[in-house]
Amino acid sequence: MKSSNAFIRETKFAARDRSLWFWLIVVVALSTISISFGLTEVARQNATLERLVISDQQDRWAELKKQQDWGSAAYYSFHLTYDAPSDFTFAAMGLRDQQPWKHRIRMLALEGQIYERDVANPSVALIGRFDFAFLAAFVIPLVLIMLLYDLRASERTAGRLDLLESTTANTLRFWLTRMSLRASAVFLCVTLPLIVGGLIASTAPGTLFLASCAVFIYIAFWSLICFYVASWKKSSATLLMTLVSAWLTTAVIVPAGARLAIDQLVPVPSGADILLLQRETVNDAWDLPRETTMDAFFERHPEWSNYQPVESSFEWPWYYAFQQVGDQRTEDLANAYRDGRQRRDHLAAWTSLLAPPSLLERWLQKLARTDLESSIHYENSVRAYHQALRDFYYPKFFSAAPFDKSLLAELPKYRPTQSDGAH
Amino acid sequence: MNQILHIAADEWRYWFRSQLALGAAGIFLVFVLVTSLITAVRMEAETHTRTHQQTEAEQTFLSQPDRHPHRMVHYGHYLFRAPAPLAMFDPGLDTVTGQSIFLEGHRQNTVMFAESAASANFGGLAWLSPALVYQIFAPIIIILLGHSDIARERESGQLVSLLAISISGHKIMAGKALALLSLSLLLLIPLIIGTSIALANGEDFFALLILFAAYFSYLALWVFITLIASIVLTQRSATLATLTAAWFGFALVLPSVAVNVATGSTPVAGKIETDLAMLYDLRKLGDGHNENDPAFQTLRSDLLEQYNVKRIEDLPINFRGIVAFDGEEQLTKVLNEYAEERMQIEAQQDTTISRYSILTPVLAIAFASRSIAGTDLAHYHRFQREAEAVRYDFVQGLNQAHVEKLSYQADINRNKDEESSRRARVDASNWQVLDDYQFETADVSQRMATASYSLQWLLTWLATSLISLLWLSGRIKP
Repeated sequence: MKSSNAFIRETKFAARDRSLWFWLIVVVALSTISISFGLTEVARQNATLERLVISDQQDRWAELKKQQDWGSAAYYSFHLTYDAPSDFTFAAMGLRDQQPWKHRIRMLALEGQIYERDVANPSVALIGRFDFAFLAAFVIPLVLIMLLYDLRASERTAGRLDLLESTTANTLRFWLTRMSLRASAVFLCVTLPLIVGGLIASTAPGTLFLASCAVFIYIAFWSLICFYVASWKKSSATLLMTLVSAWLTTAVIVPAGARLAIDQLVPVPSGADILLLQRETVNDAWDLPRETTMDAFFERHPEWSNYQPVESSFEWPWYYAFQQVGDQRTEDLANAYRDGRQRRDHLAAWTSLLAPPSLLERWLQKLARTDLESSIHYENSVRAYHQALRDFYYPKFFSAAPFDKSLLAELPKYRPTQSDGAH
Repeated sequence: MNQILHIAADEWRYWFRSQLALGAAGIFLVFVLVTSLITAVRMEAETHTRTHQQTEAEQTFLSQPDRHPHRMVHYGHYLFRAPAPLAMFDPGLDTVTGQSIFLEGHRQNTVMFAESAASANFGGLAWLSPALVYQIFAPIIIILLGHSDIARERESGQLVSLLAISISGHKIMAGKALALLSLSLLLLIPLIIGTSIALANGEDFFALLILFAAYFSYLALWVFITLIASIVLTQRSATLATLTAAWFGFALVLPSVAVNVATGSTPVAGKIETDLAMLYDLRKLGDGHNENDPAFQTLRSDLLEQYNVKRIEDLPINFRGIVAFDGEEQLTKVLNEYAEERMQIEAQQDTTISRYSILTPVLAIAFASRSIAGTDLAHYHRFQREAEAVRYDFVQGLNQAHVEKLSYQADINRNKDEESSRRARVDASNWQVLDDYQFETADVSQRMATASYSLQWLLTWLATSLISLLWLSGRIKP
């Protein structure tokens, strides 16, 4: 009874606190802005993809109609691959402004194509979008700091502290109630727009639940830190600056330092080297004896090893063989590039335990499938699709099948796959 | 004047007594020095690597054996973008834009391999640079040291006595401002050291001067904002809270919100989408590999007439080369139209974002700083334009060799047997179509022209806050 009375009293007291109302309105407004921008951007990306799927098909068939042989059909037809935004992307745009999420590839060496980035204006990537993940991870802690840093100090300045503490049986519980009331209000204000956005985007309830839990834990974490610091008997300026420094350390200094250290610790081959090597291999093939190229090709495709290349006249099977050999030669580098990025990401996942803002942002990006893992998953799906194209064309090239346009209808189709198969 | 100096000196004395203020300023100086050092070392290494890669790419190209010239058109060449000298202060777009571009005939590739694409992901604030430290963190120090300027005097009763001995509010504020401005100068010492290294690396002195002036104005602006708040709000804690809220609104929230608004209002179509439209236009042109393409019919009859011969075999020049040359020229026109359009839309979007400097001075200083440092979008576009010029020159240089150095007969028989394929080659001395390339920033006047828009906003902010401060300080009451 007593504690519920105290709770009601606190609620009434909080309802009269104008600065609390100000910050809650700010939070609701910012959260709504971030969610509505996210929804708009996702709708824009989906609309782009819808348009692209159609014009990609038109373009491909316009080209295919003109072709007279399998080799040219493969050479002139491009295929769209893409990673559509997930049902939670609206809340965490993640790496979608940096990593490629759509390609148009063809049967040539894949390494020359897969690193093409069809991304936005670099200024957008530099400044960063105001998405829900950024709001929750970086801005909300500052709001909590503003709300909670002078919880006691303000009462002390107002001369009410002694009175307050003497009229409550359990002072710790009293301050905890006051703190958690404010923190819960912030939590509600920040998650409510998220839930509404989730309903609009028909996000899986599980995802929304996990995201809300993460935000809840995060808000609880910062509130407790604020609560602890606010209990110090120091001037409110010292308290505020201590908390702001804590924010600076975890939101900026630790991530920046860790990023530098991890990049230094885990070397990743320069992407330009992959391209250079691939280009050299493909171009040298024109001057090499054809057996050399074909032998390297047959290592992977012994089933076509009875194919006899004709010296000094242009032949498609040989041409595509040296394209593939270009990929084979760069395989080690390309794998090292991918593995290196993954190792950096794994290390970043662990180190972000020391940097809660990064931890929350990364977690939301994981839920939204806009993290590096999803990006590499997409990259792999492009590789698999490119392989499917080769599997389609190689029998036609090497068994000298007569060109038949009707067979082109059986060209493999790219199916966007989502990571983890959660949906 | 003496009274103003006296007040300023008093303020400094107070800071020296207050450990909080001194500690914060000290930590800031160490922080910015460390960041400067790391960024400088990193950029120095980048410059070294990319210059090395550039030389290597040039040597590889030049050392290619005798070949059919069109093979070299497809063999292609690489350009690497060396960082600007001031990138060690403000790397700007350097980390999020690609560093190398592959140049070849018939197409314009994108600049690939941005550092940020392979780096460990910790979110947007993990890319610290000295510039960012000044833009985002220096204001906190000013707020911390200046927020209590009036409230403190009021609490200690000093304000009454000062006003009583007829020292005007203007004079008090001038003294306080002088103290904070001299502190700002102190905070800018690492900037001066850092940019002097850029000076040694060939940066223009005038650019450094402007950069310094811009950052000093920016810090001065925060000084004025802080003093305004300390006059308007009577309580110390309320002043500090309001200023902190203003700080994170300006520095953290508004710039990103501006990005959201700009990408919504001026969307940039992706490359794949514009490429599809471009492919449609390109198909209307002739294929430069095929001398029988009907698109080159007029070219053929004109040449036959000009040289007064009946068959293209009788021309003194290689018709296949002419077609390659002409085809590349037509194609490049279309490619450039699309590229220019894309860059213009990107630049427009950039302007839309920077227009939000009206809401936050942080955007104004960020854009101005990047423009002066030569790490802004304009320079990224500059690199793309230069790359295209290099591409077109070497491709057409090779096509020229195709026209003049290779006979038509040898050319059409190139696939007959090994011997004829050998005959369809030109001497490797023809590969000398490349000049040494190094990316350099635009000259200062050009950079100033881009920066002027943001600088105007910065000065507007400065002037507005100064006027408000002057007006308010006349109304200080005890």
